[in-house]
Amino acid sequence: MATIYKSFASSDAVQTRTLLHESVPITGAIASGTYNIGKTTTEENIKDFAHGMFQSVYDYPFLSSSANHIFDLTFGYSNQSQLSGASNSQNAKKINLYNEFAQVLAGYDETGSIRRFDRDGDLTTGTKLNECIFLNFARLLTKDEIKKGTFTMYFHTGTALDTYGPAPATLLTASDFGAATDYRVNSPAGEYGILYTSSATPDATGESGIGLIYYQAGVVVLTASVFAKSQNPPAKGVVTTAGGTSTAPNFSTQGATLKGKNTIDATLTGATISANADALRHRLYSVEFDNTTELNSTVYFCRINHNDYNYSANPTYLTGSKIRVKGEKRMNLPVAYPTTVGLYSADRELLAVAKLSEPLKKDPNTELTLRVRLDY
Amino acid sequence: MAFLDNSGDIILDAVLTDTGRMRLAKGDGSFRITSFALADDEIDYSLYINTTGSAYQDLQILQTPVFEAFTNNASSMKSKLISIADPKLLYLPVIQLNEIYSGNSTQKHADGVFVVAVNSDTENKFNTDKIVMYGENPSSDARYVRLDQGLDTTSISPSHAMQASLLETQYAIEIDNRFGTIVASDGTTSRPYSFVDDDDIATYYYSLATDPQFVTENSETSVSVNTQVISGPRGTILQFKVASSIDLVDGSYFDDLGSTKTITDDFGGTDQTSTYKYIDTFVRVQGMTTGYSLDVPVRFIRFQTD
Repeated sequence: MATIYKSFASSDAVQTRTLLHESVPITGAIASGTYNIGKTTTEENIKDFAHGMFQSVYDYPFLSSSANHIFDLTFGYSNQSQLSGASNSQNAKKINLYNEFAQVLAGYDETGSIRRFDRDGDLTTGTKLNECIFLNFARLLTKDEIKKGTFTMYFHTGTALDTYGPAPATLLTASDFGAATDYRVNSPAGEYGILYTSSATPDATGESGIGLIYYQAGVVVLTASVFAKSQNPPAKGVVTTAGGTSTAPNFSTQGATLKGKNTIDATLTGATISANADALRHRLYSVEFDNTTELNSTVYFCRINHNDYNYSANPTYLTGSKIRVKGEKRMNLPVAYPTTVGLYSADRELLAVAKLSEPLKKDPNTELTLRVRLDY
Repeated sequence: MAFLDNSGDIILDAVLTDTGRMRLAKGDGSFRITSFALADDEIDYSLYINTTGSAYQDLQILQTPVFEAFTNNASSMKSKLISIADPKLLYLPVIQLNEIYSGNSTQKHADGVFVVAVNSDTENKFNTDKIVMYGENPSSDARYVRLDQGLDTTSISPSHAMQASLLETQYAIEIDNRFGTIVASDGTTSRPYSFVDDDDIATYYYSLATDPQFVTENSETSVSVNTQVISGPRGTILQFKVASSIDLVDGSYFDDLGSTKTITDDFGGTDQTSTYKYIDTFVRVQGMTTGYSLDVPVRFIRFQTD
């Protein structure tokens, strides 16, 4: 009996899972400088919203359909922060944003109260991160998750900067050193790691962290105290005192706007979220991480035996009804040259197609196993 | 020490067809891969040179560049490879249109296509000699499409029986479901399509065992050049008519998908001409045993003006 379809045996389909990683470098110039139209005019790839709750960074002027969303940037503090005050600029919004991130990423305690971010991930004790900078990376970049142990962010902590510039000596590193084997799982939003300034700083008590990175959520939570006066060596405590000092670095470049209050605590209380976001972007040197895409595949083993698929229904295969490749000799072996594999349903609908890179020679002397992989 | 040849195990990345994606999106379990087939759409076997050295016979064929996969399910896997246990076959069966079997009942129109009048108004414009099928009232018309299967060679007498393994016992007919449906040559018998894909292509299956109005064995063993197009051993016969869809009866689609043409008719007298809207398409017939396929050209027409 001539046949054109061959059924798969139950063992011919195998499910596999592959983690695909891509390296994602984000140069600070994208966040500050590339599309700057003069020092104080519009940065065309930075999108501010009327609600003023966050700022979006694109890789191209955002009005263009070619622009890709890179990340969002916002600031917030807990209502238990000493910086919280009714007279602060956007005080309610900063608290609301902190709570929104906290309830999604840190969850609730046993009384139903929103947990605050914890510096070392030990929710029962230790220092809480009350004043935070949030970077939400777009799903376009993080895909299924950020690969643990690959995240590094550099930013300036020295004197005020107008725009992106060369790496100065005051460049601070925030990286999830050691997170490939040391991460936390007590978040409702998946796994997270702790950001350190150096691979030497992680320790058992964990009080050297400067932030958290939520791998599946693609969110970085950075304590605002990295910009406080004792930033080098990295701050050990959160921002606890209101008002800047002469030794604290300028965080914002908009001194005039903020009436001279350029330090992080001054800007957190006295400036809008958008102005804070501007200040951070201008301090950003670069961000890099590897993303992860989880590929679920089914591999179909198309087993082609010696007596399978040696003839063709191709119209050029015959002259009249005579097989062209036989050359008038019945004893010559039939031969066919497949270029395509089709995967079919039980009712013979073509569901998937795979192509060979070049024609294969198939005759009764050859057997083939074509492994056709279908990714989901 | 040389490396082992591992070319016998090849990894290919497959892409879902539009139909595959549609079934996956349905989530009703209809996306289930159960079998595979091979095809050689790009290959021109006339490039195979029997008269040269073995190393050069298929050189041009092996150098044929291969296209990327089409995701349109109707555009891929046109010519399939066949598994036949016997490697000594010199002939394979073909499927051919038989336009000589019953005078103008089985002929194409003079335009080289099977013309189908989509409504009664259009049907009434043609006498029988104009060879136009009645799409709205197929039972009122004697015309039909006949396809013969067999070995088209004078080297073997038609008195020999077809090898059983090469006999087409089931056919698949594909037609654009927006335009028409398939009915038997008696004009009344029909059966529902098996499925309609995402491109509105309906597939009908007819088999020798269950659909005698469509598929019969060809018992004619004489050379009979006046009624037979297969010169050698004969297999089965597929006969059908094309009925027009409701959408075509009411004139839909002609403006978007068709054009207009002056056709000789009998409106207002014999051999007059009128303007008709028309849509050209084809009906694909495939033998499910050998995979041999044939496209039957079909033109749907609708009277516009005299």
